[in-house]
Amino acid sequence: MASALLAHDIHLVGRSFKYHRPRGIVTAGSEEPNALIGIRRGDGREEPNTRATLQEVYEGLETVSQNRWPSLRFDVGAVNDRLARLIPAGFYYKTFMWPRSFWRTVYEPLIRRAAGLGTAPTAPDPDRYAARYHHTDVLVVGAGPAGLAAALAAARSGATVTLCEETAELGGSLLLSPQLKIDGKEPAAFLAETNATLAQSGVKTLCRTTAIGYDHQNMVNLVERVSDHLASPPNGAPRERLWRVRAKHVVLAQGALERPLLFDGNDRPGVMLAGAALTYLHRYGVAVGRRPCVVTCHDSAYRTAFDLHDAGMTVGALVDGRGAISPSLMKGAAERGIRVIPGARPLATGGRLRVRALTVESDMGRETLPCDTLLMSGGWTPSVHLFSHTKGALTFQDGAFLPKTTGEACEVAGASRGLWGVGTALDDGDRAGVAAASAVGLTVSPHAYSLHGEREETGHSGQPIGQGRKVFTDFQNDVTQKDIRLAVREGMRSVEHVKRYTTNGMATDQGKLSNINALQVAADALGMSPPEVGLTTFRPPYTPTTFGTIANYRRGAGFEVTRKTPIDAWAEEEGAVFEPVSLWRRARYFPRAGETMAAALSRECRTTRRAVGIFDASTLGKIEVVGPDAAEFLNRLYTNPLLKLAPGRCRYCLLLGEDGFIRDDGIVARLGEDRFHVTTTTGGASHVLSKMEDYLQTEWPDLKVWLTSTTEEYVAIALNGPDARRTLKPLVEGLDLSPQSFPHMSVASCQVAGVPARLFRVSFTGEVGFEINVPARSGLKVWHALLQAGAPYGITPYGTEAMHLMRAEKGYIIVGQDTDGTMTPEDMGLAWAIGRKKADFVGLRGLMRPDLVKEGRRQFVGLLTEDPGTVLEEGAQVVADPLKPLPLPMIGHVTSAYFSDAVGRSIALAVIENGCSRLGETIYLPMADAFHAATIVAPAFYDPAGERLNG
Amino acid sequence: MVEETPAPITVTTIEAGVRLSLRTADSEGAGKALGHPLPTKIGTITEAGQRLALALGPDEWMLTAPAGDGWEGLADRSPIKEPHSLVGVGDRELVIVVEGDGAADALSAGCPRDVEAMAVGCGARTVFDGVGIVLLKRAAHRFEIHVWRSYAPHVLHLLAVVQEELEAGL
Repeated sequence: MASALLAHDIHLVGRSFKYHRPRGIVTAGSEEPNALIGIRRGDGREEPNTRATLQEVYEGLETVSQNRWPSLRFDVGAVNDRLARLIPAGFYYKTFMWPRSFWRTVYEPLIRRAAGLGTAPTAPDPDRYAARYHHTDVLVVGAGPAGLAAALAAARSGATVTLCEETAELGGSLLLSPQLKIDGKEPAAFLAETNATLAQSGVKTLCRTTAIGYDHQNMVNLVERVSDHLASPPNGAPRERLWRVRAKHVVLAQGALERPLLFDGNDRPGVMLAGAALTYLHRYGVAVGRRPCVVTCHDSAYRTAFDLHDAGMTVGALVDGRGAISPSLMKGAAERGIRVIPGARPLATGGRLRVRALTVESDMGRETLPCDTLLMSGGWTPSVHLFSHTKGALTFQDGAFLPKTTGEACEVAGASRGLWGVGTALDDGDRAGVAAASAVGLTVSPHAYSLHGEREETGHSGQPIGQGRKVFTDFQNDVTQKDIRLAVREGMRSVEHVKRYTTNGMATDQGKLSNINALQVAADALGMSPPEVGLTTFRPPYTPTTFGTIANYRRGAGFEVTRKTPIDAWAEEEGAVFEPVSLWRRARYFPRAGETMAAALSRECRTTRRAVGIFDASTLGKIEVVGPDAAEFLNRLYTNPLLKLAPGRCRYCLLLGEDGFIRDDGIVARLGEDRFHVTTTTGGASHVLSKMEDYLQTEWPDLKVWLTSTTEEYVAIALNGPDARRTLKPLVEGLDLSPQSFPHMSVASCQVAGVPARLFRVSFTGEVGFEINVPARSGLKVWHALLQAGAPYGITPYGTEAMHLMRAEKGYIIVGQDTDGTMTPEDMGLAWAIGRKKADFVGLRGLMRPDLVKEGRRQFVGLLTEDPGTVLEEGAQVVADPLKPLPLPMIGHVTSAYFSDAVGRSIALAVIENGCSRLGETIYLPMADAFHAATIVAPAFYDPAGERLNG
Repeated sequence: MVEETPAPITVTTIEAGVRLSLRTADSEGAGKALGHPLPTKIGTITEAGQRLALALGPDEWMLTAPAGDGWEGLADRSPIKEPHSLVGVGDRELVIVVEGDGAADALSAGCPRDVEAMAVGCGARTVFDGVGIVLLKRAAHRFEIHVWRSYAPHVLHLLAVVQEELEAGL
């Protein structure tokens, strides 16, 4: 896209962030700070801030310029440029502090609108994003001469090699050096041959792929732009793909980035990097201007000047900040009639929407050179970003930070470690490839590249710092050298502080062009050397990354697991309303046509209490504990005495943490001498299993007992109500269901509806209850059989809401609702579940802590509101006397509250300080409307004697 | 005329037959009692007829057999004498068979293991898009994902998305 614009002589592509100065294309790569455009692909596909230097053009591509109003050529916001003196670095820390209330309502929205970059799309992104894990012996990042040589060497060794390249084609600087002969071949021929060799060797080559982050143990994340360059990608094709590459060895060959020069007006459209002009010429056949001038302090710009001249452009002058220039470069310039002005300082640029002239000062005095493009080179910054992600140490050498040591298995090759020249890069890449191969246990002999036609250049640069008001270090964030100096004057000493004060390097290009320049200015202002001032931290991602790629498959139906029981489909057909419970979705209630939730709830509870209700309890966690030491193991874990639990019997058990607080509860059922079936709460299933494994493996490895999760092996159907036995009986074979032979808290194996079942006599409603566990794939069949058998009694399915209400009527706790991780069994009125004679269990010592036995702990009680129609809010705070001055001491809170049909009024459960000894007292609950009075009662509202349970 | 190309992957879900989780410190004795030698190297399997044992850990094996096999209901009448745990989990998992040239590629969308490099006839406990699975490589281009029943739809959904991606060829 950038090349297409330049081919049409368009340099002006945007307005800057703060001053709304006109800006042009500066680079030819992903480091581009200015040429950010909006892309529209139709069907709601919109992306702001796409770098025009990366976007490939195709028929029908629609792009818009951004950050300008009303137009790119005339932007009202440019008035900021005139007011620049009033809005220096850190201006928003100072100017907009008063009046305080204006910040959110006036200043921030205005600043955001004026300073924004592009507009975020509002419609959901219709594109697909993909992800892959990928394993390889050697990953090579960058396919310039160093990367290619490394990949070829590693591939010769027989290693599996993955090569990624940010642009659309392999070659890097080889594509810019048509005069070269590599092993006797022109670059094009060499690259064609290399491509073929890589393909034959099975090298996985990923073009349009940027390595964005280098994580621990050689996990490198790559983003592949899969289809942004296609006019009509095939259906189902992703837009981007995240590659999580686990490499045994990594070769970083990312090359170096050219730095802008610091001079007044260095941001004018038409001022661009010399290397970028060379790229546009050789890779895209585009002349960036007719009459360019070149301003440099590095040899590489001479090549640009020569090649542009040879391609027919008129190079006005080569302005070099250095006094001594190598004779071969001078000769090349002389041959072409290009004037070289050595020891010259650029003073200013002229022009408004496009550079028109450059004023320079040298021994020959001051002069103004007309030009239509100004190509600059401030030298090259080795790209050490990924290396730095590894926490690799850098060293400052010859004006650049270079990779030193890292803990990761990685090589750095070529320009990214400060080497200069194609031949050097090829040889160093080959060395790195050989080293990588050897690191993965393979051997390969090095290849000696023969290279002809390389220009005589050195990698040295001497960057002078220009003076003036508009010497920009960071183009995108509009930071000037004056801003950096101001920051230093105001007391910023560390480069990290300078960065944050000025926002230098904080734009979307993350300081790829600006960091080193800003550092040099700061070092100059502080009179220190750059390494003393420090370098800001490089953080992933290397380039801006779409949220789509980061989220990849985690969207829509794939966003998160939704677990459903085998009964779920039936419930959905019945019109159940669902609620999420941990990863599960559970039927909350089953409204009939026209029924409200309250009406459905009331009916479900009434039918269950008067006849029979059926409930899908499959989500309850189930763990089979088997082995000769199973009873001993459970006895050590749970508070209850379990050694003497007889086969065929169940017990309600509490699981504590070492701190003595309740973690989970459930039923422990003994199926045989060495086999137990343990249930847990729905949400606690995996934690309890992990906790058990943890104790077994670390505390008691001597116990011969093993744990198997059987949660999903069984469909668990709870059948509750006075007609439960009558409903179940005709379907049961091999078991006498009478209360005498199968009393409350029994377990047995039998057949239910012809299916082998584990049958429990347990209840969470206070009615006669059975829990039928059958193999999952027979669950629905048994469910239907029970519905049919219960039809004569008016059986109803009930959901989690009715289950919650009915247990609250009985005062049965729900761990995590009535407890909050700070409640002991004593607090919850469950001291009876503690085996008093037990020598030890998990949490026993915790329960002895002074705070857990002292007076005034919150205790589990019931509440009856003064007005029987008032349903308290769960979480409402409890106070003793509302007439006392504020703040009132809170003495407890409501944990569960419902309207109960069975009780004929509202009920609530709460935890209140010393609650058990305050039965009958009135307390108060401040709620949104008023204070509500309530009486403390025992937490059992329905059938407190428990007679119905044993019926 | 439409050119017919083989689908990159086919995905089939099958109900597991007999499945047992065996835990014991005495693999040799257990193998003898079962009449089926147990593999001792983690990740490897032993097969006899349609019976298969996969070593999932130092003391853990997954035993499978087709429905109606003599191993059905074995947990209730374990022939093993030494201390052990044998639990029937035939209904806990579903088996998702992923087959075709793109099978390894499809699995690498969610599985961080190097499935390409896994030896044929090996298995492993691993994850697929965060879901715990047991993965068996039955042939170079045929994998079995053993996954708890309620997680299967999530796995199948992602496989369907990846299938479309593979069919798009990009």
